[in-house]
Amino acid sequence: MNPLIFYPVPDLGPVMKGLAIGGLAIFHVFLAQFAIGSGMLLCDLQRRSAGGRNPLARRFSDGYFKVLVLVSFVLGAVTGVAMWFTSIQVSPRTIGTMVSEFHWMWAIEWTFFSLEVVSGYMFYRYGPRLDDRARMTLLVFYSIASWFSLFWINGILSWQLTPGGWLTGHNVWTGFFNASFWPSLLFRTITCTATAALAACVLVNVFPSVSREERTEIIQIAARFLAPMVLMPFLGAWYIAVMPADSRGWVLGGSIAMLLFLTLAVGCSTFIGGYAVLALLRQKLYINGATATLLLALAFLATAGGEFVREGARKPFTIREYLYSNSIAPDEVAHLREVGCTSLDPYPVPGAETFPNLQLITGAKVYRIQCSVCHTLDGANPLSELAQMWSLDQKRLNFAQLQRTKPFMPPFAGTPAEVEALVQFLTWHQAHRPAEWPESSDPEVLQQIADWLREAGPGREPPGGPDLTVAVKGASR
Amino acid sequence: MNAPFPFGFPGATAFYLTLYVVTLLIHVAFMNYVLAGATCLVFGLGRGRAGSAGNALAHILQDWLPFCLGLAITAGVAPLLFLQILYQESFYTSNLLLSHRWMAILPVLIVGFYLLYLQKTAWLTARGTTVVLLVRTVAWLCFTFIAWSWTENHLLSLDREGWVAHYASGRWLYYSPELPPRLAVWYFGALPTLALVLGWQTRWIRGESQIDGDETVRLLTGLGLAGLLLTAISGGWYATVLPGDVRGKLLGWLAGPYLGLAVAGLVIQAGGWWLVWRRQSLSRGLLWLLTAGWLCGLVGGTVVRECRRLVALDLSPLEKLHAEAAQVGGLVAFLVFVAINAGLITYSVILVRRLPADSGDAT
Repeated sequence: MNPLIFYPVPDLGPVMKGLAIGGLAIFHVFLAQFAIGSGMLLCDLQRRSAGGRNPLARRFSDGYFKVLVLVSFVLGAVTGVAMWFTSIQVSPRTIGTMVSEFHWMWAIEWTFFSLEVVSGYMFYRYGPRLDDRARMTLLVFYSIASWFSLFWINGILSWQLTPGGWLTGHNVWTGFFNASFWPSLLFRTITCTATAALAACVLVNVFPSVSREERTEIIQIAARFLAPMVLMPFLGAWYIAVMPADSRGWVLGGSIAMLLFLTLAVGCSTFIGGYAVLALLRQKLYINGATATLLLALAFLATAGGEFVREGARKPFTIREYLYSNSIAPDEVAHLREVGCTSLDPYPVPGAETFPNLQLITGAKVYRIQCSVCHTLDGANPLSELAQMWSLDQKRLNFAQLQRTKPFMPPFAGTPAEVEALVQFLTWHQAHRPAEWPESSDPEVLQQIADWLREAGPGREPPGGPDLTVAVKGASR
Repeated sequence: MNAPFPFGFPGATAFYLTLYVVTLLIHVAFMNYVLAGATCLVFGLGRGRAGSAGNALAHILQDWLPFCLGLAITAGVAPLLFLQILYQESFYTSNLLLSHRWMAILPVLIVGFYLLYLQKTAWLTARGTTVVLLVRTVAWLCFTFIAWSWTENHLLSLDREGWVAHYASGRWLYYSPELPPRLAVWYFGALPTLALVLGWQTRWIRGESQIDGDETVRLLTGLGLAGLLLTAISGGWYATVLPGDVRGKLLGWLAGPYLGLAVAGLVIQAGGWWLVWRRQSLSRGLLWLLTAGWLCGLVGGTVVRECRRLVALDLSPLEKLHAEAAQVGGLVAFLVFVAINAGLITYSVILVRRLPADSGDAT
C-alpha cells in the first residue's frame, strides 16, 4: 500500500467531504446510466428502422442522440474527471491505492471510453447521412463500449466493499471479480436500460413535430426497456446477501439513515417498475411529459438512495478491511497510538494564533486528520451537535473507544494526550471559542484514557465485545 | 540523470514515464487545437466578409472544436492515471493546496464546452456580431483559466519547500516566476498545431486545387509562423527565469537531446511554412513536412517539460512503489484491449471517411 503521508487537508466549510463526493457520484452515475442504456435503446430503434421500415424510429434516434451528446458527452465526461479530482480532495491515499492496484483496469476502461466517444461523435456528426449498416455498426460500437466502461469501473467499485480474496494474495483479478461484482453489474445494467427508457419517454414528449400516435409508438418501444426491472428485487437481494455481515446489518436497520435511503431506492424503483408493468406494458397506456419527467425524477432518487447505501455500507472503510475512511490503515493504528497522529503532520492549523493554548491546536489537528472526512464542526454531520450533551468523561470514553461508540466508526489512532486534546478542542469550540482556556494535563485523566484505549484495542472487534462496566466507571468519575 | 530520458531510471519507473509522456502527447495535440482554436475565434478568424477565407476557417473551427474538446478530455484521462502512479504525493498535494480554485476548473470546463456547442448553432449567429463575439470570448476565457490553473498546479507540485507556507497562508493562488513564460510557451506552442491541422482539414474539405493561391494559405502561414516565433521567444524567456542548476541539468544528457529535437522541430516547421508561403501551396508533401516538424517539436517539448519536473523532484523514494505497481496484473489484458479498440476506432473513422466531405453542422 502507499505509505502514510500527511497531506494538507482542505476545509470545505459546512459541506461534509463525503457529501461532496457522494453528491457528485450520484449525478455522475445517473448520467452514465443514461448513456449506457441509451446505447442499447438506440440499437433497438435502429434495428426497427432498417430498410426504411420505421422512419419515425430513425428520426427519433437522431434527435435522441443529439441530446445524448449534449448531456452525456459533456456533463458525463466532465463529472467523470470531477470524480477523480474530488476523490483526491477527500482521500488521496484511497484513490492512490486504487490507482496503484487497478491502473490497468482503468487503462482498459479508458480504451473503451475512447471508443465510446469516437463512435458516438461519428454517429452524432454523420449519422443522418450514413446507411443503415454503418449506423448500426457505430451504435453497436458505442453501446458495447459504454457498457464495458461500466464493466471495468464496476469491478473496482465493488472491490472497495468486498475485496475478499484480494486481501490475502493481492491478486488483481481476484479483487476485480469479487463477491459483489456480478450482482452489482447486472443490477446497474438494468438501471441503465430503465433510465434510458424513461429519458426517451420524456424526450419524445418535448420533440417538435411528433404526433400523439408517433409518441405512443416510441413510448411503447422504450417501455420494453423497463421490463428487466422485474429482476431488480432478486439482484438486490443477491447484492445484500454478499455484503459483509456488519454492513448488511446496518443497511437492514442497524443504521436508520441507511435503512431510509434503502427504502427510498426500493420504493422509487417499485413505483417505476409497477407503473411500467401495469400502465405501459399491460394496458398500453400513453405517458405524457409531466408523468415521464416525474418517473425520471424518481429514478434519480432511486439512484441517489442506492449510491448512498453502497457508499455507506463500506463504513468505516474506504477499502474494506484495508483502509479506514480517515485514510489510516488498520495495521497502523497501534503504531499511531504510540507515536501520535499529529507529531508528523507538517501542516499548521489555519488561524492557530487565535487559539488559547497548544493543546487546542493539537486537538484541531486530530480533528482534521481523523474526523473531518466524515464530520464538520458545525455544518453537515457536525461533531459539536453529535456530542452536544456529552460530559467531558463521556467524550473521553467515546473517542477512546470510538469503534464501540458507533460500529461504523474506526478506532481512534492516536495517543491518550491526543484524545484529550480532541476533547478539549471540541469542548472549547462548543463554548464558542473563548479567549481563555486552561490546558488539561491531569495525569489521572490521561491514565484513564490510556486504559480505555487499551480496553478497546486498536482493532474494530475486541474479543468478547464491549465491556459495559468501563462505561459505568467512566461515568462515575 | 546522466542518460537521455527515460533510460537513466529503473525499469518500472522508465516504463511509466514513457507511458505517461506518450499518452500526454495525444492529449496535448487535441488540447492545442481547442486552446488555439478558441483564441483565434476571438482574435481574428470569422469576422471578415461572408465567404472569406477567415470565415471558412472559423466555420471549420466551430464545427470541430466541441469534438476535439471531447477528445482532449478523453485523452487526458490516461496521463492523469500514470501521473498518479509516478508522482503521487506531489500531484495530490498541489491539488489539495489549491483545493477550491483547482476544483473550479470543472464547472468552468462545462461552461466552455457548452459555449462551443452554442457557437455551432444558427440561433447564435442570428443574435448578431456582438453576442457571437461575447460567447467566443467567454469560451476563450474558460480555456485560458484552465490552462493557467494547470500550469499553476504543476508548478506548485514542484515547490515542495513552499507547500507548508502556502497552506498556512490559505491562499487560493500560487505564483512562481516560471508561471508566465511557461504558460506562454504552451499557449503560443498551440498555434502552430492549429495551423497545421487546419491545413489538413481545409485540404480534406476543399481539395488541394481549391486552396492553392488562396487567402487561406496566407492566413495559415501567418498563424504558423507567428506561433513558432512567439513560442521560441517564450522558450527563451522561460530559460532565463529557470534557476541556474536546473537550466544546466536540462542542457545535460537527461533533456538535452530532446531540447535539440524540439528546436529542430521548430526549425523544420518554420522552413515548411516558408515554403508554403513561397509556393502559395498547401501541397500534401509540404503538409507532411510540417507534420514531421510538428511531431519533433511536440515530442521534444513534452519530454523537456517532464524533465523539468524530474529535476525538481527526487523520484528515488517512489521507485519501489513503481516497481510494485508494475507487478500488478492486467497489462496483457490492457494491450489486448488497446489493439481491439484502436482497431474499432479506426474502423469507425473509415466508415464515415467514405462520405463526401461537407461543411456539416449536426446541431
